[in-house]
Amino acid sequence: MTVAVRGERTSRAVTRMAAGPFGQAFAGRPGRVLGRVVMLAIILLWSLFPIYWALNVSFSTLSGADSTPAHYFPSPLVSASYRAVFGVGGAGNGISGQLGRSLLNSVIESGGAMILTVVIAIFAAYAFARLQFRFKRTIFASVLATLLLPAYATLIPLYRLMASLSLVNTYIAVILVYVSGFLPLAIWILYNYFNTIPRELEEAAFVDGATPVGALLRVVIPVAMPGIAAAAIIAFLMGWAQFLFPLILTTDLSTQPVTVIVAALDQQRVVPFTLLMACGAIAAAVPGVLALVLNRYIIQGVTAGSIK
Amino acid sequence: MLPYILLSPLVVFIGALSFVPTVDTAVEAFFRISTLDPPTRFTGLGNFRALFASSAIITSWVNTAAYVVIGVVLSVVLGTVIALALKQRFRFRGVILALVILPWALPSVVEAVVWSWIYDPTFGVMNSALHSAHLIGGYHVWLGLDRWLTIGLIEIVQVWQITPLSALVILAALQSIPVELYEAARVDGAGVVQAFWRISLPMIRPALAVCTVEALVLSLNIFDQVYILNGIAPLGSSVMLQTYVTTFEDLNFGGGYALSLLMTVATAVLSMAALALLYRRPEAA
Repeated sequence: MTVAVRGERTSRAVTRMAAGPFGQAFAGRPGRVLGRVVMLAIILLWSLFPIYWALNVSFSTLSGADSTPAHYFPSPLVSASYRAVFGVGGAGNGISGQLGRSLLNSVIESGGAMILTVVIAIFAAYAFARLQFRFKRTIFASVLATLLLPAYATLIPLYRLMASLSLVNTYIAVILVYVSGFLPLAIWILYNYFNTIPRELEEAAFVDGATPVGALLRVVIPVAMPGIAAAAIIAFLMGWAQFLFPLILTTDLSTQPVTVIVAALDQQRVVPFTLLMACGAIAAAVPGVLALVLNRYIIQGVTAGSIK
Repeated sequence: MLPYILLSPLVVFIGALSFVPTVDTAVEAFFRISTLDPPTRFTGLGNFRALFASSAIITSWVNTAAYVVIGVVLSVVLGTVIALALKQRFRFRGVILALVILPWALPSVVEAVVWSWIYDPTFGVMNSALHSAHLIGGYHVWLGLDRWLTIGLIEIVQVWQITPLSALVILAALQSIPVELYEAARVDGAGVVQAFWRISLPMIRPALAVCTVEALVLSLNIFDQVYILNGIAPLGSSVMLQTYVTTFEDLNFGGGYALSLLMTVATAVLSMAALALLYRRPEAA
């Protein structure tokens, strides 16, 4: 209840701030407006220039890309790098096969980790948010404490564990390691979201004879979909970005994700950089499009709880 | 019984794949483990002594301190600036917000590869742009020659990636400040700058603490950007890079465990200290 009230006050404050003292001040002075436009332009340039640069190079010819001074637009604009990377015309030097397979591996590993993380986190977060039991605080605090551990604290023992189980270079090893790493954040996001849902909704279900699990499945989960989507997208993006864990847990193309392949192509120092930028653009396209389309959920997820 | 059934998958995962490995690290750090030269035996502080006899390891700790200072300061300051610029509602604000978080969403390895070509001495746009603006006389080799320049340029790549997260957290905090406070300040004759120092800054202090700790943990454990932009050379190497080299290239697992343990302790102590120093809820809202 209190949470809902607080949320209402916050949103009211935000709406009022739009027309608030500084809003009017900005609206009234052309100098201020110009200042802010310049500021936003600098922020956008900083945020997007490297991405633009990668695309610019990837659409250039090699001679166009290594000209002095640099061309800020592709001249001429060609899609030769992408055609080569996709294996059209057979000039891809085997890159198309590597990239295609590693993209598939990335989808399987990030997707698998996302699904497992979200399913486990929903049940755990619900127990933490709604049920009373012994050691609740201890378990909850220990799970969240792992958020403050360095991500790679478990690198060596996990590698040796997977090696002893003969799981190195399998999807299972990669997914299990990802899930153990992503669970605390997913639980934190879902725990905060569940706490914003009025308990009256479930109580109505209990009156109708529902069990706690029934109420979770039929009442809470449908209402919590935005929170679940936030946890899922963030888990998928984290999985897609992983590099050091797959670098040691995967050894060949049967499981190596696209991050490991792009780094390997970069280290070879023989792939033309126009081609390399095309590979990078393709590797970044999936998370990039997800972030652009679903940014609402990402923003909500990463700010969930951090202001408490 | 129900709570424990709901929690059992979590407990199994975190227990087996986070807690046991962490404890394992704390134990194995005191053993001599080399797959090339068995058997494994207890060595006390031997691993640690060997580590600190290596100049490459000491260099990597000093470098990591520099990565942390640059990373924390730049990402928190830039995050605050971006959040302030996006505080008010205006047209296209949603679109700009979506574009600003893009660097955070992309894989850091791919980003580092892109930046390596921006910094490239012959093909890089950095040389070309600075030369066109007459800021440099000739093309420079940016990475791998000067230690602190290399570290600064590599950390900028990480700052570029993590700043959107700080901006979002600070923006959310700014937006939850009651507008009445600003109105009261204006009535009392406070200007925009004074309102920022007297109202905004104290009110977003918890958010700044969260951003500081996040940037601290990420920069303390910097690996991807260093691996791509510096390689395994000691010049710009970080502790995580040395951990990787010690363990998986030199196959000195005991040494790797010892470095991991030190890094875990350093991360925990420093993030707790940062929280204790910075995290203070504003008194009256």
